[in-house]
Formats: sequence, C-alpha cells, structure tokens
Amino acid sequence: MKKKLLLGLLPILTLVIFSFLSFTTTTESTKYKCLIQMTNYTGEGAYVIISLLDAEGNYEKTLYVQGEDEEWYHDIPEWWSFYGKRRPDIDAITGATISGGERAISVIEIENDKVDTGYKIRFETAVEDQEYYKDDLEFELTSQTIKNKVEGKGFIRYVRMLPQ
Amino acid sequence: MTISIWRYSHLALAISSSLFLCIAAITGIILAFEPISEAIYSHASKDNTHLSLAETIDTLTDRYVEVIDFEIDPNGALLGSVITKAGDSETIYIDPITGEKLGVPREKAAIFKFATNLHRSLFLKSTGRFFVGFISFLLIIIAITGIVLIAKRQGGIKRFFAKIEKEYFTQYYHVILGRLFLIPILIVAVTGVYLSLERFSLLPKVKISHQFDDKSFESDPKIDFANFEVFKAIQLKDVRSVEFPFSDDVEDYFLLKLSDKELIINQFNGAVISEQQYPFIAFASMWSSTLHTGKGSIFWSLVLLISSCSIVFFMYSGFTITLKRRKSLSSKTSYYDKDEAEFIVLVGSESGSTFKFANLFANALSSIGKKVFVSELNMYEQYSKAQHLIIFSATYGVGEPPTNAKKFESLFSKSAPTNPLQYAIVGFGSLAYPDFCQYALDIDRLLETNSKLERLLEPYKINNQSFTAFKDWISLWSKKTGIDLKIKTPIVSKKPKEHPFTVVNRSAINIDDTFLLQLRPKRTANFESGDLLSFYPKEDKVERLYSIAKIDGDILLAIKKHEFGICSNYFSTLEIGDVIDASIQPNSDFHFPSSEKEVILISNGTGIGPFLGMMLTDKNIAKTHLFWGGRTKTSLELYDSILTKGILDQKILSLHLAYSQEGEEKTYVQDLVKKEVELISRVLVNQGTIMICGSIAMQKDVIAVLETLSETKLSVPLSNFQQNNQIKMDCY
Repeated sequence: MKKKLLLGLLPILTLVIFSFLSFTTTTESTKYKCLIQMTNYTGEGAYVIISLLDAEGNYEKTLYVQGEDEEWYHDIPEWWSFYGKRRPDIDAITGATISGGERAISVIEIENDKVDTGYKIRFETAVEDQEYYKDDLEFELTSQTIKNKVEGKGFIRYVRMLPQ
Repeated sequence: MTISIWRYSHLALAISSSLFLCIAAITGIILAFEPISEAIYSHASKDNTHLSLAETIDTLTDRYVEVIDFEIDPNGALLGSVITKAGDSETIYIDPITGEKLGVPREKAAIFKFATNLHRSLFLKSTGRFFVGFISFLLIIIAITGIVLIAKRQGGIKRFFAKIEKEYFTQYYHVILGRLFLIPILIVAVTGVYLSLERFSLLPKVKISHQFDDKSFESDPKIDFANFEVFKAIQLKDVRSVEFPFSDDVEDYFLLKLSDKELIINQFNGAVISEQQYPFIAFASMWSSTLHTGKGSIFWSLVLLISSCSIVFFMYSGFTITLKRRKSLSSKTSYYDKDEAEFIVLVGSESGSTFKFANLFANALSSIGKKVFVSELNMYEQYSKAQHLIIFSATYGVGEPPTNAKKFESLFSKSAPTNPLQYAIVGFGSLAYPDFCQYALDIDRLLETNSKLERLLEPYKINNQSFTAFKDWISLWSKKTGIDLKIKTPIVSKKPKEHPFTVVNRSAINIDDTFLLQLRPKRTANFESGDLLSFYPKEDKVERLYSIAKIDGDILLAIKKHEFGICSNYFSTLEIGDVIDASIQPNSDFHFPSSEKEVILISNGTGIGPFLGMMLTDKNIAKTHLFWGGRTKTSLELYDSILTKGILDQKILSLHLAYSQEGEEKTYVQDLVKKEVELISRVLVNQGTIMICGSIAMQKDVIAVLETLSETKLSVPLSNFQQNNQIKMDCY
C-alpha cells in the first residue's frame, strides 16, 4: 500500500523537480528599444509584426504587434499560421498601426541566449488593400547586428534597435 | 400622383438607403456612449492647464528610467510609454504634476469594437467603407431636401421656425424634430463623407515632411531638457504628443506634435531643427474626426446620441407618413372614362390628404349612379360629356399651387373647355398660415374669365380638414344641384378612453331649442374652458364634440337640440343623477390667454358655451369684452345668471348683443363688430386676443369684417395677427 503511493507520487515529484529546474535555468533577457521608421507610402496604417525565428526559419515567439484590430490578423498569413493556432494573449505587446512616413518606438524583450546563436528577427508588414511583405526586414540576431540600422524592403524604411 | 422633385428625392433616397442608414444610426447610438464612458473614467486632471512642457518632461524623466513617448488624449489625460525603475516597459496614464501612475488604458469594450466595425465598414472592409461613405453622402442630400421641404411647407425660409400645423403625431414630429436636428445630422453626414474621402485618399495629401540634414545637429553645449527655452514656452494643453529621442546619438531628436504644428527639437541644446505648420486639410481631418466621434466632449457626444436616435425616428415617421399618403391615394379611382363622365373631380394636393375628401365626394356621387371621373389638376384636358367640374385644392407655401396642380393654369389657358360646365371650388388650408386657401381663389378667378363656365357656388374654404365644414359644403352643393348626397363619415378607429360623468343639472329647453347641461366628472379630471367633450352615441359610433365651459370644476355645455340629432336629443332627455361616459380632449389652441392683455370674445348661438367658463376664470382679470348674437331677447335668458355674475364681478368690461329676430332691423354679431372699430383696433395693436366661437357662417362674416378693418385702419393684413396667435377660433 505504501509502495503503491510512493510509485504514484513519483511522476508528480519528477515533474515538480523538472519544472523547478527549468524555472531556474530560464536565461536572462534584455529589453531593446526598437524604432521603426516607415516609408512615405499612402493608405491605411501598416500592421507590423515583430517575431523571433529559429535558425531554420520557424516562428519561435511573437515579440511585438503594431496593430490592435484582431480582425485583420489573418491577413498576415505567414505569422497567422503560427499565431492563429493557439492565439496566446499578446495584449501587453500590442501597439497602434504605423502610417506612411511615421515612426514608432516600442520596447521588445529578447532572451539573451537567442543572440549569437543563429536566431533571427523578422519584421512582417501588411497594409489594407496593399501588399503584404512576409519579410519586409529580417536579420540574424548577433550582438553586432542588433545595434545596427537595418533597411527594410517594403513599407519599412529602416529599423534601429538599442539594448537597455 | 405627381409629387415635387424635392419630396421625391427625399423619399427615394431615404428608402434606398434605409437599411444601411438604420444600421449606421443604431450603431451610432451605441458608439455615442464610448466617448461618454471614456470621459467619465478619464484620468485627466483638471489643474494641468497652466503646466509647461518643460515641467512635465522634467517630472517624467525624473520619475522613470526611460520615457519613450507620451500623448495627451482628447480628454486631456497624459498617456505615456515608459520604462519604470523596476525595469518594466509600461503604457500608463500618468499625473503630469507628480509623475505618478494613475492607471492603465482600458481595453475597448467588445460591444464598441463590434459597433465600430459595423458602423464604418459593415464587416465588408473596403467595399463596406465605400458603401457607408456613400450612404453618408445620401444622408447629406436627404437632409438638404428636408430643409427645402420644411422651407416650402412653412412658406419661405424666413418662416422656417414659425408655428407648425399639427396634422397627426408622426407628421408633426417629423417636421418639428427635423428642424431641430437638421444641423447636427448634416454635420454627422458631412464629416462621415469627409472621413471616407480621406480613407480612400481622395483628399489632397497632408503629410508633413521635415527637411533637415541629419549630420548638422549641434551637440554642444549640452543643456538639461527642463531648461530648453522651447519647452518652457509650450503649455501642456497645446501638446498632442511628444516622442523622446531614440538614443543619445547625434541623429536623434525630440518630435513634438502640437495643436497647430510639428516641431523637431535638438536633444542637446533645445534648438528648433524644423518647424512645420499643419495645413488646413489636417485641421479639417482633425475636426471631422472629433465632430463625428464626439471624442473629448460629453456634451457633443450627447448631441450625437440624440441625433442618431432622431434618424431612427425619422425613418419610422417618414415611412408612416408615406404609407398614410399612399393609403389616401390608393382609393383614388377613375370611376368612369374621362369622356363618359358627367362629373369631373380635379384635385390639387401636396400631401394627399385632399384626395380623401375628393374621394368621399366622388364615392357618394357614384353610389347614386352618377358617372364620375377623378384626376389631378395637372392632368386637366377636354372632357366631352362633362357637365360639372368640381375642384378640390390645397395651397402650398405662400399661395402657391401644390405640385400636382402646377401645370393646371397653362393647360387650362391652352385648352379651355368647349362645353358649358358648372363649376365649384373647395379650398383646403389652415388659418394658421397666411394666404389661407389662396390657390383655390386663384383658380376661381381663372375659371371665371371663361364664358363656358358657370360658377355654381362661391369658392368654399375649409380650415384644418374640418369634416363638418366639408359636410356643410356638400349640403350647399346638394341644394344648388338638387343632387342629394350622403357622405359617409369616416369612422374613427380608435376611440379614446372614456370616463363617467354625472349629470348635475339640465336646464329646460328654451324657445331656440337650446339648453345647458352641467356634468360633474366622477374622477378628478384636468381640463380648461375651450377643451372639448368627446361623446360617442351608441347608435352610430360617430364622435361628437362639444366645447366645454369649466365652472366650479363642473363641465357646462350649451347644446342646441336638432330635430334629428341623435346626440342632442339624447342629452336633452338626461335627468339629474344620470351618468354618461365621455372623454375630454385638450384643445390648447382655444384656451383663454394668460396674459393681462384685453380679450374680445365673439360668439353666436351656443358658441357662447366655452366663453361662459372663460369669463369667470381667475385668468380673466377685468379685461374681457363679450359679443353675442342670438335670435331673440328671450334666447339670452338661458345665460342670464352667469352673465349677470360676470358683470357684477367686473369680469365683463363690455357686453354687445345682437338679435336677428327682434324688431325691424336684423342685427348680426358681425354688425356689432363692425361698429366697434376703436375697440378692435386697440386690442389687435396692443397684442390682445380675439376669440371666435360659433357657426362657420358667422366665423366667415366676422373674419371678413376683421380683415377689412385690419387693412383699412391698421394697414396690415389680418394674417399678421393670426400668425401672432392673436386670433383663436373654434367653429363648427
């Protein structure tokens, strides 16, 4: 009887230990100020999605969403195929759309072990009734690139990031 | 029926846009609550108006590790994006004086999200947005045609806010509220269109572009933000948003958006690098958005709320009016071919109500086997077998023909009748408007000139669609032609709620078959002399109305017993203690004025009824003159006791009596009026009131006397006083 109870407790115990371990092993993360400057296009404000991609180019995490109206999210197909499945709460990392010629500064948080390890950052843009750029801007996260001014090829003119 | 282009556009546009307009109006009602709730829960502090931008920036940079940007929302609250000392990145409302966190932005409620989407795009994205913009545009035209229609109806733009005649509830409030809400509705529609145009980039571009050379920023000397001259000079209330420099790089700067311009400021020494004024279009966009959404103003949001509600009401009332008009037109039948008919009935009607009377007349004729043809005045042509021409026409605006009669004059002069015809004209209108029944008189003058036409009756004027007056004309026409017509009284479908009244007294019937009936309401009733007692006899269920005199809380009616009058006969047999069921209809147009100006009461026969009550009220402060016309001196005895009381109490200043059956000379009440030129002129000029109650024939004669008097002695048309509400009538 006693044995049985212990056996039953074992998986729970392991789970607790593992989760404790995984908790402590969470790496430090850094906040980055991120400035997005748009080109002088005309039309509605652009939806800009900032995502973290792994080395193979798969979505890892949503870092920031410029654009608050969920109705339009499915019009950003690449990201939607990742986000749309589970739709985690992103209220804390959501801002307004950015219009042509304007700029927006947001604060994003990236775990330190994602830098210099082949991870990439992607800026995806879409404007109502206009083009959709799945990688308006994309670069590998290294301690060097993360401080650079990077030019976009769609609605984004450039992006600057600054560690806090 | 031909209707005017204005009315047609007003209706056609309203119908075609109704569904979407309804959606937009209802979602508009919901959305009006958003700025209201935002304003109520706002974190705005009232005493930050004097604050300079320098002080605010100092407070914020002191309190937070990093300030990314902040904006002042329409309610005046400061919403900043900051990194706190704890290292968290937050977007929060901040007190600009202390720098304290006041709260976090509330998420837009799901209902508002839903309503916004439906309101602006019907969930159809760009297509929907275009549609909504287009509907807004239609709403502008509907509002403008509405203004034109009111102006026409009132007889000119100057009379736009003059009194409106009440025909029935929906029509009355359609016009009343229309006048009131045209302006806000126009604003909503115009700004709606503007916002759509902007959305589809159909307006000139308004983007401000700052031209400057990145490399030329001075980084020396370095001054504290709080000491920037430019920040000290700007007050927080003029600020829309401030974006802080991205980094301490030379190329980064402050971006200030103020209420009228944008500034780029050097982050080291506070020098203005670039300054751009907003162009006019930018202001227009800002105002459009503010006026359309009501953001930042509870008052304007409430105006928008009520306006949206009124749109829904206009749609309801507009359709009711249309249906009503259709109904009165649908019974319009051409009973016979125009060349077979002997009786030609032509109608001039703007709203269709005149057709109701024309049809009653035509139906009565055809029910006794006469061949009738009914049409509009605009359709006038030759009628080969016609013997009678009967014209029913309203007047529109200032003596103008109604739309479906506009062509009559030219048609008639081109092709005057070739057969001899007997004609009669009935004019419909309201005494509240100047040029009462003018168009009917114009037609009469036109027809008179033709030798083939013989005038059977003088043109007859009917006020406020009075059915009694109409019946009166029918009997005149019947007498003249020898054709006995039975007009069916339209049965009122809705009977008012009745209350019991006890008979307190009934006088004996005098030599004129007249008697007084005194009733006491069993339950407390609120009424005044001049109101009407409505009674439905069991025999025919047709409403009878009696003008009330209120004496010591009782109702006193002066009733003439007619030989075959169901109701008057019934009343003449009532005994003390009997109970009858009736209702009281307020008739505020015929109440004794509460001003201290003199009042002249003119009546004949039982028309004295309501005046008996008015004379004795507390409102009457020794300022009343009474004119009465009866048959003999004995006729007066019925009212003796009340009149004596009035004289003894000094309620009656002067009493003028006329007897038509007494002595050699027959005197009528209008003859007395004619003699009292001084009195009448004085009362009219001093803005006193003349009240007339009695038979229609007496009313006409008295009005004629007053018209002459007004024009010759005072050199102004009587209609001036009528518009001023100085002449009140209740005749039958």
